[in-house]
Amino acid sequence: MQDYKTEHPFDITLSEEQQMTWDMLRKFAETELRPQARQAETDGRPSDELLEKIKSLDLISLIIPEAFGGMGLEQDSVSNALSLEALAYGDLSLAMSVSLPLLTAKIIVEHGSEEQKARYLPEFVNGSIFNVGLGINNTSLATQPYQSSVNAEESGEEIILNGSKTGIAFADEANTFLISASNESGECNLYFVDREQDGIEIEEKDFMGLKGAPLSQINFSNCKIDSSNKLGGHNYSLNFQSLIDSSRIGMSALALGVCQAVLDYVVPYTNERVAFDEPISNRQSVAFMIADMAIETEALRLMVYKSSALKDLGEDFHKQASLTYRFATHHGMKIGTDGVQLLGGHGFTHEHPVELWYRNLRAIGIFEGGAGV
Amino acid sequence: MIHPLLPNQLQKTQETMRMAAEFILRPISRKYDKAEHEPPVEMEQLNQAAAAQKKETEMGDDSVKSMDLGGRNLWAVISLEQMCWGDVGLFLARPGTGLGNAAIMAVGNPDQKTLWGKRWAAMAITEPAAGSDSKNISTTAVLDGDEWVLNGEKIYVTDGDRCDCVVVWATLNKDMGKTAIRSFIVEKGTPGFTVARLEKKLGIRASDTATLIFDNCRIPRENLLGGKEEIETDINAAKKSFGGAMQTFDNTRPMVAGMAIGLGQAALDMTRAILAEEGYEDNFGESMHNQSAVQRELEMLEAELEAARLLVYKSAWMMDNKMPNSKEASMGKAKAGRIGNMISLKCVEICSMQGFSEDHLLEKFSRDSKILDIFEGTQQIQQLIVARQVLQKSSKDLK
Repeated sequence: MQDYKTEHPFDITLSEEQQMTWDMLRKFAETELRPQARQAETDGRPSDELLEKIKSLDLISLIIPEAFGGMGLEQDSVSNALSLEALAYGDLSLAMSVSLPLLTAKIIVEHGSEEQKARYLPEFVNGSIFNVGLGINNTSLATQPYQSSVNAEESGEEIILNGSKTGIAFADEANTFLISASNESGECNLYFVDREQDGIEIEEKDFMGLKGAPLSQINFSNCKIDSSNKLGGHNYSLNFQSLIDSSRIGMSALALGVCQAVLDYVVPYTNERVAFDEPISNRQSVAFMIADMAIETEALRLMVYKSSALKDLGEDFHKQASLTYRFATHHGMKIGTDGVQLLGGHGFTHEHPVELWYRNLRAIGIFEGGAGV
Repeated sequence: MIHPLLPNQLQKTQETMRMAAEFILRPISRKYDKAEHEPPVEMEQLNQAAAAQKKETEMGDDSVKSMDLGGRNLWAVISLEQMCWGDVGLFLARPGTGLGNAAIMAVGNPDQKTLWGKRWAAMAITEPAAGSDSKNISTTAVLDGDEWVLNGEKIYVTDGDRCDCVVVWATLNKDMGKTAIRSFIVEKGTPGFTVARLEKKLGIRASDTATLIFDNCRIPRENLLGGKEEIETDINAAKKSFGGAMQTFDNTRPMVAGMAIGLGQAALDMTRAILAEEGYEDNFGESMHNQSAVQRELEMLEAELEAARLLVYKSAWMMDNKMPNSKEASMGKAKAGRIGNMISLKCVEICSMQGFSEDHLLEKFSRDSKILDIFEGTQQIQQLIVARQVLQKSSKDLK
């Protein structure tokens, strides 16, 4: 039946601290992120002013050890998921402007060698949160999610990278990339690659959604790096599947924030929009779509909570994370498309945010790395 | 603390009840599906197993004890989820408790709880011309001296034949709508009360579903269950009175939803066992390019079931913590009802001729599951309840 052990009772109550952080971030999402979502899409990136505000939330310094200038606070997965949900309620691409560097920093904190930590972590605290660009998303369809579309050929002290990675955020600001690559024996690891390295080519790409953050593809062609550039050092073996699973819980938490935004938008809209002499929400065909949205959103919330809680217990959370991301992918998109449907022609235009949420929710299930939990 | 996980002791309950389901219910599952209307005689064992579990986990009868375990409603949902993993029809046919018992415990006065609490009580609401719109019932109750006189016909009464007594919904005055509706306890054998017939059904055949006739049936005045003898003229008091009766459903919906989850899990487990014979293995978390259609389908169904399960556990947890849970109970029932049905039908499809065959129980699960999306409030009624709460609408605006 269950393969975890716990003495603690079933509970779904936020701690006082979680509630405070939630209130603060949710307010930030509503007052700072949501109003700037359209402009960020037009500009292809958040304004400098907004980025400063995002940085001043100190979400990243929080988890960086004191030795490297951070606050060194352990964040549990549940609290992390709550933060991501609260931020994505404002806007998904802007939330990912925090969640991506947060994930990157977290990976380095957890897996980096002392030397790598000393080299990269202080930059995050100093405000260069995009100094290391994370490359996890694969270009090739046939590549398994726990593998990479970049091959790492290990020959002596040298590693030769070939292949492509895409969906790398803020690559233009990165001096280093942290790239997943699979070796001949099928292990997938992360490697630091200098921007100036020979054999890499960076192309900016446009996608249907997540336009509020610049996204790029990197092509590797016989790119030679030193084997000490492997995350954790030469002999380190990374549990890449667990890393992807964590990121999937995070992506699900982000999806949840967007789903809640859609629900909270269509309720007043359908209550106010009159057709055939009464609010359209008086009709079951409309009301039942909204009931379903509410049901699936709440279910997704509980699944995100459960996956994170399981991870915090230190138990195997692979299955739970997989089910949660599958659920978030399917129902997130359903809620996205229903959100546009409920607003009819109005929903199809830029007059309302539902078309933006529709495009962004399509990224759920596709992005493997984007959120840290 | 956000911790939607089951503590060890509840997991023990789960395991014990699963064993009971596997070794007591499964072996007689097909037998009573075939022998419709024959009371299962092996069921006492299951009641004993449940009682032993209750004692062991210190779950009291009528008070919320041992909150550190998650409370008695979550305990109940978890137990019956496992019993229904065994067989929903047999679970419903277990002697001793019916839906009427939930009503008596929810709205009965102390005397009624003492007198009727341990008797097997069925619940009679539905009539040939009134289903989900229970305020339109036409069975009447008239006070004559120290007795109520009941007249009318009730259908789809689960346990209606085998029970000791029935909680009957009747109106004091049909023209007064829901403000005039009351429930009454009618004992088996009362003159004027007859079981007219038993239904033949698509599923849950082990459970008896009766049509009851009340023909000048006279019952004691004190058998009025909750509510006043007069029709309240004060609109708020009247609303409260009917609302009280309907509140029973907030308590029973998580239970019925739990049944659907148990059944859904049973179908998935059996499907995997059948597929395993032909070398099937799950590969959760893989991309769609690396999954077979069956692997992907089963992963999605598992995700849907887990989603439903968490909604239902939450609604039971809210009950345990005395939080109003009407919306959450309906969310859980809506999700679990449809998912239990969808899973069991898909599993038959996946297992093809073996699924369709009576050699296995998958076809039976798929027949049993349908009722769980109908009784205790249909899918559509649950959606109405959720939609009205989310949209903050009255039943007048959102019909």
